[in-house]
Amino acid sequence: MNAKQFKIARTLTMLVVTFVVALAVSIQNLYLALAGVAIGMLFMYLVRRQYKVITTDERINYIGGLAGRTSYGVTTLVLAILSMFLIVTGSQDGDIYAESLGVTMSFIVLFSIAVYSLAFAYYNKRHGGD
Amino acid sequence: MEEIRNKIRTYRTESKLTQEELAEKVGVTRQTIIAIEKGGYAPSLALAFKIAAAFKRPLEEVFTYYKHKR
Repeated sequence: MNAKQFKIARTLTMLVVTFVVALAVSIQNLYLALAGVAIGMLFMYLVRRQYKVITTDERINYIGGLAGRTSYGVTTLVLAILSMFLIVTGSQDGDIYAESLGVTMSFIVLFSIAVYSLAFAYYNKRHGGD
Repeated sequence: MEEIRNKIRTYRTESKLTQEELAEKVGVTRQTIIAIEKGGYAPSLALAFKIAAAFKRPLEEVFTYYKHKR
């Protein structure tokens, strides 16, 4: 399988999975959505095994790291600001739902920071840090 | 400002290798070879050694470190 055939197979799989999931949502069938995604993943796994050309290397991993750090920073900041806004406005207006949502979101932000810090500490130690 | 310059394009042309063939030889994607040739990406030490070995030349002949004075 060459690069062009791989791209066609990937695009077709994405289209079919999107169609099946959209159909499953419209008829409210969870099992159809799950089956569609699972079959799509299995098909892509089999296609990837046939594809001999390298698709990932150190530059892709480096870009992935940069993109991951950027998305982590942006998401965490946006969620933190939004949760503060919800907590403040919720407590001022007496809207318990908004306040609860704000508190929940702030815990998600804290959890995300904790996971990042633990992962950083783990990889730092694994790669020779103190 | 630091910069790593390379002569990959020159040696690749000399060796009559395409970007695709060199990429396959050193185990990376063609886009990575393009990025290194253009100077947009500095390869790891391991990859730099692999590229130099593909041309049967020492590392310092293929890659050169430059530090510009401000």
